[in-house]
Order: sequence, then structure tokens, then C-alpha cells
Amino acid sequence: MSTTVERQTLPVRLLAVAAVPVAAGALIWAVGLPPTPSLFGTPLADLTVEAALVVALGGLSAVGAVTARSRWRVVDLVVASVLAVVGGLFFWGVATVWDPVTRALSLVPPSSALLAGLWMVPGVLGGLVIRKRGAAVYVELVAAVIEALLGNVWGFSTVYYGLIEGLGAEFVLALLLYRAFGPVPAVLAGAGAGLAGGLLDVTVYYPDLAGGAKAGYVALAVLSSAVIAGMGAWALTRALAATGALASLASGRAAQRV
Amino acid sequence: MIRPGAPGPPDPPAAGAAPPGRGAIARTNPVAKLLVSLLISLVLLLTVDVVTAAAALALECLALPWCGLGARALARRAGALLVAGGSAGLVAALVGVDGGAQLAAVGPVTVTQGSLLSGLAVVARILAIGLPGVVLVATTDPTDLADGLGQVLRLPATPVLAALAALRLFGVLAQEWQDLAHARRARGLGGGGPVGRVRDVLGQVFALLVIAVRRGTVLAMAMESRGFGAAARRTWARPSRLRPGDLALLAGGAAVALTATAAGVAAGTWRLLLG
Amino acid sequence: MASDPGDAGRPVAVRARGWGWRHATRTAWALAGVDLDVAPGERVLLLGPSGSGKSTLLAGLAGLLDGGPDGTGEQAGELLLDGVPAREARTRAVAAGTARTGLVLQDPLAQTVLARCGDDVAFGLENHAVPPDRIWPRVDAALRAVAFPYARDRPTARLSGGERQRLALAGALALRPGLLLLDEPTAMLDPEGAALLREQVVAVLAATGATCVLVEHRVAPWIALVDRVVVLAPGGGVIADGAPDDVLAARGAQLAAQGVWVPGCPALSPPRPAAGRSAGPSLLCARGVAVRRPGPPAPAVRDVDVDVHGGRITCVVGPNGSGKSSLALALGGLVTPAAGELVAGPALARGLGPQPARWRPRELVTRIGTVFQDPQHQFVARTCADELAVGPRRAGLADAQVRERVADLLDRLRLAPLARANPFTLSGGEQRRLSVATALATRPRLLVLDEPTFGQDARTWAELVRLLAGLRDEGTGIVAVTHDEALVDALADDVLRLRAGRPDVDAVPAAGRAR
Repeated sequence: MSTTVERQTLPVRLLAVAAVPVAAGALIWAVGLPPTPSLFGTPLADLTVEAALVVALGGLSAVGAVTARSRWRVVDLVVASVLAVVGGLFFWGVATVWDPVTRALSLVPPSSALLAGLWMVPGVLGGLVIRKRGAAVYVELVAAVIEALLGNVWGFSTVYYGLIEGLGAEFVLALLLYRAFGPVPAVLAGAGAGLAGGLLDVTVYYPDLAGGAKAGYVALAVLSSAVIAGMGAWALTRALAATGALASLASGRAAQRV
Repeated sequence: MIRPGAPGPPDPPAAGAAPPGRGAIARTNPVAKLLVSLLISLVLLLTVDVVTAAAALALECLALPWCGLGARALARRAGALLVAGGSAGLVAALVGVDGGAQLAAVGPVTVTQGSLLSGLAVVARILAIGLPGVVLVATTDPTDLADGLGQVLRLPATPVLAALAALRLFGVLAQEWQDLAHARRARGLGGGGPVGRVRDVLGQVFALLVIAVRRGTVLAMAMESRGFGAAARRTWARPSRLRPGDLALLAGGAAVALTATAAGVAAGTWRLLLG
Repeated sequence: MASDPGDAGRPVAVRARGWGWRHATRTAWALAGVDLDVAPGERVLLLGPSGSGKSTLLAGLAGLLDGGPDGTGEQAGELLLDGVPAREARTRAVAAGTARTGLVLQDPLAQTVLARCGDDVAFGLENHAVPPDRIWPRVDAALRAVAFPYARDRPTARLSGGERQRLALAGALALRPGLLLLDEPTAMLDPEGAALLREQVVAVLAATGATCVLVEHRVAPWIALVDRVVVLAPGGGVIADGAPDDVLAARGAQLAAQGVWVPGCPALSPPRPAAGRSAGPSLLCARGVAVRRPGPPAPAVRDVDVDVHGGRITCVVGPNGSGKSSLALALGGLVTPAAGELVAGPALARGLGPQPARWRPRELVTRIGTVFQDPQHQFVARTCADELAVGPRRAGLADAQVRERVADLLDRLRLAPLARANPFTLSGGEQRRLSVATALATRPRLLVLDEPTFGQDARTWAELVRLLAGLRDEGTGIVAVTHDEALVDALADDVLRLRAGRPDVDAVPAAGRAR
């Protein structure tokens, strides 16, 4: 019978700490926010549900990020770096053909978000393969730096993009307390990265679009990242684990050999 | 500061290694060049207008003679940038927002003063953002950059060195890519429509990834056996410090950014993209 | 017992009591109940079949195995270096600025960390927080100790395999370890590189007097160097321990049967075919062929004339850098020759044009099979059975025929139990057999092999020789590019010697040997 080294059940203390932000969010929702101060023209009372969600989710992900057992071993770091270098080469290749391809397919915003998922793959892949705190951000950021150093159209602005998109995926994995790495968490992590990247795009590159087109762009970015980055990275992780290349990593231990 | 003993006569640089430039800018600390690139990117990212971008580009070109790059080397490295910038600018000129006097018309496509200006702005902006990066890569050795990041910017040494080692690992993999391509032909793969080709290339990329990850695992073991990752404190064999020349470069980069922005504001064309 | 800088270089005593290790991804223990005592300054050779945990023991001695809750496996018993558990010894040594162990691994390409040779050696010293003014003198001393032929700022990308291993040895030596651990350091080197590395190891051990634990498959060259031989059993512990001659006399036959290259037990060879057997039809005819590789402007090999016939084995031999692999690519139809003529005879071309490089891949695969030096370059499927089916399917065979061929090959090459395993998870010998099997799946008339016996143990070697002899007797033409003189002696009908990219006119002509 095979034995795993990781614990399978959540300890009670962790659950208690995680319950705090959830309770705070529920409290906000139950009590409601005062109507008088307003944010961007909307009275606070109308934003109760959103505020409750932000508090609950943000608190949970902070708890996850802080309490995750995440000592990075040297092999984790080196494999993450290898993935980042491959990701950087991949980014560079995609960046070179991005303009011609999107114009050939007559993709203008908001529909150019259809291929946005390609930019999130290394981050999600890093998070799924390494399974430690900060892996998604590290891989996506270093890949963006390498893409910038190899020379592309957008210069060093890709570094900022890499950081924020990586944080999007990291946010989701932290929310799940770094314990779930199956297909559903992968898709959610991809969606998180897509959300971050989409929002960044509409603020920096396309501020002129109408509100509806902006929302459509972000929604398409989320969908594309969930599929391409989420499912794609998950399938790639599984294929890598099957070759035994991940045997020294946490993700390889999950694929037990007899 | 104790300079390490002079090395022997250097071998001719291998293909892919960055030859040290002879110019003053080329010999500055790589961190200074990196910060200048980041700063100029950030400032130029905030707006798309001809005056700002052209001013920044002009100022950067003024500094080019000190970069120590020959014209041919520069053209080769900046070539991709020129092509991408040129095509993006052309498209912006043709299908961009029209405004002002109409200059030319080819069927439904019109080139007006407004769209031409916006096309020029796009080209200038792409070149202005990309040029410092090109100089950085052409005149910097990755090991020196890593030394700078660890010692000057005090980034944690372990991730920086791991990334450097992974980059070195990849230099070797170019030969493996060739072998993989030959092996695939020998197995009967290849040739069979565009879809088949894409699948074959993806398979080749996957095989390279497997080989890279495996080799990375062995590399991690070798690095760990030499003490990597065991202690927080480490020393640096190649000291990297910011010297007056580096600070001058940083000041110069800030000056370029500020001057370009001021020019744009003065001309009235500066428009913040965010918000 | 803390180590202080005065300890640098002091030979280490090793002690194992009931030590065992289980990797987290496996259910069976790699080693169990190992009891071992190594005195300071002693040199030990570890032997055993593949999978007997020799590399695991070395990793344990180097302090790289973490049996804790967040680690990579489970440990039993104790493994002590001078009385301190190995893992602790490593962390304490790094804190104190010295190293108790130095490790050299098998893969030359995966051990160079940085892009310049001097920087690579200094890497270990930097990690141990050695003061900067003392780093470079120690780097120079270490490079001198291994007789490294280049200066400090030589790019590591331009080193050969043997030079990389010497650089790795220098990197380990710079830390003045008391225990030197060598995990098959010559396995992936050509014979000259291996001999040079051996020389340097001998010199280093004589100069420092460090304890040494060595794992090697080819025992003969190292026997004179070691004081003791220890034999490990897979999943078990030590089954033999003593002076080299005693252990080899007692266990030699058993070890040879398990694949170790024991001196005095030559690998089994098939009998030579009867002389005077006529050669088959001409398959390939090369006249003045030159092959260029991307990068250097000069051709890698030129002026090659060779005739390949069915039913004969041609061996291409020569030192490293003589262009053998490039020639193999041209003969396999994978690159177009830069000069000269390479014509495929009608028996091979079977209706296609005369130049193999112009054939389409699915036509090429049924005519010429190529086996590469690294089997991992050839794997394209997820299971071994699928791997074998790729070629026949590409050639257009029906499903039933494909299945039949796959089953036949799995039996013939003893791969049946691995049919559902992922090719990358196979051992070295199994991967080699699989790569040869995939080339045979499409029944090509000509087989080109690049270093087929590279790094293989004695058992796989014997199997390959038998297989190739069998194929030759069936009429297949074979071209083997190899360093391995034993293979040439066992199999070659024709020998082509290359040196520095051209045929070696000074070599003894093959016709002079008894056939």
C-alpha cells in the first residue's frame, strides 16, 4: 500500500483561523454598510455583497499564503527556473507572431482577448508543478523578464504584466490554501490570471472602449485563460508527471508509482 | 576594493555570449542599464503621442555612440524591433483614428494627418521603449547582471542564481533541439499538412521540456552538493557596485524620461492613458 | 563535533548502521539494512546491478536526502560522517565555510552551473561564504589540481564532456572535501576522456588523501586504485565486502551475469560468421561525401567513400570530434550532404529517387532506421507499446498488422512487462532496447546506429551484439558509429576510421584482419 508524506486532513487550528475572514464577510453582509460615503459615485450600501466577498476571499487567500507549508527546496527552485526559461522562450515566440496573427484573424478588442490565455500558461504551470507558495508568480515573472531581455515589441512593460498576471493565479491557489491542484483548481487559477491580465489591459491599453466592450474583453480574457492556461497547464503537468520527470517534486509524489 | 586576479587572455566569445562593448555606457553596471530600461518603459507606457516618443527616441539615439555597438551589430539586434514597429505603425496610419487633413486615399483606406501622426507615434514609442533593452542585452553578460541584481539591488540570491543556472542550461539545449528534429524525421514524423506539423512541433517542444526538467533536477543536486541553498549568507566572487559612471547613467535616463514628458506636455499632446 | 576551518581536507570516516532509504514515489525500499564502515583515507568501489541503490547511498553520504516531513522520502537507521549524521554534517559545514563531501555526477551537461569556467568553480566557494579575496586563489589551485587546460574565462559552452567532468571535479575540490563521492563519472565519456579523468582522480586522491567512495560499471581500470570493493543488493544491504581480488573471485561470475563489467569475465559474444559469405546487394554508395553542421563554416566530415551492403556490418570509428555522428546523419537520410554523392541502391530505394535525404519521412522510415545516441530523443508516445506502433502506423500498415508486429518486438526484446510504461521511466538499458525496437518495427533494410553501446552494462551489451549479428544474418545492412573497440572486434565486417573529419589513411586496413 502506498503512503504519502503530506497530511490529508486540514488541522483544526487552520480551519479556525480561516473562519475569521469568512465570518467577517458574513457579518458585513448581514449588517450592511452605511449609505452615506460613496465610492466612484455608487453609495456604499449598494456594494455590500461585493465588499463582503472581497473581505472573505482576500482574507482567506492571505491566510493561505501565510500558513502554507512552503519551504522551497533547491530542486523546486531550479525546476521552476527551467519552466520560467521555457516560458520566456514561448512568450518570445508568441510575441513575435502576435501582431500579424491577430490582424490576420481580424481580432480587434474586445475579441483579441480570445488568445489572451497564452500569456498565462507559464504561471499556472509553475503553480501546478511546484505546488509551493509563490511558484506561480515566480515562473510568470521570470518568464516575462526573459521575454523582455530577448527583445520584443513591448519592451520591459511585459515585466509588469508578468507580475500582475502571476499574482492573479497565485491569489486563487492561495485561496485554496495550496492544497488543491486538480483540474478545477487549475481552471480557476487560469481564470484568476485572466482576470488580472484583462483588467490590466483595459486600463492600460484600451481605456477608450465603451464600458460594455471593456466588460466583454475581461470576460473573454477570463474564459480564454481558464481554458488555455488552466486546462492546458493541467494537461501538461499530468503529461510531465507521467514521464517521471517530476519525481523529486511535490507534483510527482501525487502520481504514485508502485 | 580588491580586484580578483587578472584572467588569462580571453577566448573569442562564443556564439550567443554578449561581447563586452567598448563604449562607456557598455561598461556600466548592468543594473544601471536595467533600471534605465524599466524607467523609460514605464514613462513612455503612460502615453501615446508623437512628441514624447520622438523626443525620447532622439535623446536615446544621441547616446548611442557611447554604447560601443557597431552599426551592423545594432542593426542586427534592433532589426526585429524595427520590423515590428514599422508594421504596427503602418497599420495605425492606415486604419487608425482619422483626423485633420486627408493626405491619401487608396480605396476605402484613408491616410489622414491624424492617423499618420498616430502611426509615427506608435513607431517612435516602440523603438524608444525597446532600444534601451537592446543595448542592455547586447552589452551585458548574464552572470554580471545576476551579480548586480544580488549585490546592488539586494534581491535574494537563491532565485537569481537558480534562474541564471537555468538560463545556462538552455544554452546547451539548442543542440538537443536539432537532434530532436532529426530523430523525429527518422521516426517517420513530419510532413503532413499544417495541422500535423503543429502537432509534431508541439511534441518536440514537450520532449525538450522533459529533457530540460530532468536535467534541471540533476543540476539542482549538483548545486546543492556545492552548498547552494543551505545558508542564507553568501559571498560574491565578482564584486558589483554602483560607480559614479553608473549613477551618471541613471541620472541621464531620468533626464531623458523627464525631458520627453516635458516636451509632450509643452506641445499639448501628452495624454495620460490610464484612468 | 563541529568542524572548523582547520578541518578542511581532513579525511572523513563513514559509518552506516542499518541504514535504509525509500523514495517517496516508490513503495519498495531502495536500500535497507546497510552496515558499512569506511576508515579515513580508504577508497571504496561500490558495485551492484542497476537499481541496487548505489546512487542513493552516495546521495545520502552527500547529505542530500531529506527524510523529514517535508522531504523526499523515508530514512531508517543512521548514516554518520565522523559521528555526525550526514545531512547535519552538510549544513554545519556550510555554516563553517568548509565542505565535508564533494560529489561528481554522471551527466556532464547538467553539472556546469555558470557560463565561465572560473565562475563555475568559484560557485561552491561563494555558497560557503568564503571571503572574496581567498576565492580566486583557491579556484586557481583547484583548476591546477585537475590539470584543466583552459583559462578562467573560457565559456563552458565550448567544453567537451571530459573537460566538463574535470571542471566539476575542480568545483568539488575547491571546497577541500574530506570525502570524495564519484557517481559513474566516466559513464558518459569517450574512452580518452575517461582515461584523462581517471588520471586526474588518481592524482587528486594521492595529493589530498581524502576518503573516496566510487560507483562505476567498468571495473577493470579502477581496480588498481581502490582498497576495497563493496557489493550492494537491490532493496537490501551489503552482500560482499572485502579486498578487490577476494570479492571479484567470489562474486565475479554473479556480478557479470548482472551486467557489471568484471575484468576476466568477457561479455559473451556471438561466434563470427563463416568467412567467404557473399555480401548482399548494395544499399548505399557514398563518394566524396561531406557533411556540414549548423554553426561552423567548415564541414564536420568530408571526402568519405563508403559502400554499405546488405548482410554486412560497417563500423565507423574515430576519436571525439572526428565527425562520426555527422556522417551517421547523412547515411541515415536525415541531412543532405554538403558535397559529394550519396546514392541509394535499388534494393534500398525500392522505387524512390536515389537521394535518401529527399525521401518523405514515412517513406524513409520503412527503408532506413536510425538509432540515436540518446534514446530519449526518439520517444514520441506515452507507452512503450504505442511507441513501437508509431513507425508502422506512419508507414500505413493495417491495425492488425501493427499489433502483431508490436507484440513480436516486445517479446523479442524482452519488453513485454513494460508495454504500458512510459518510455521516459525506463532504465538506461531498457530505453536502449526500446529505441532499437522502434527502429526495427518498420523492417528497414538498412540500420544506422549512433553509439549503440554507450554507457550500457555488460548484459545489454551482449544482447545488442547478438541482436545485431542476427539482423546481419537476415540480410539487413548495418552501419554502427562507435568508440567501442570491443564492439568493432565482435561485429565489424568493414571498418572506416575517421580522424579530424577525414578518413584516416594511416589506419591498418580492415582487409588485413581475419574475417
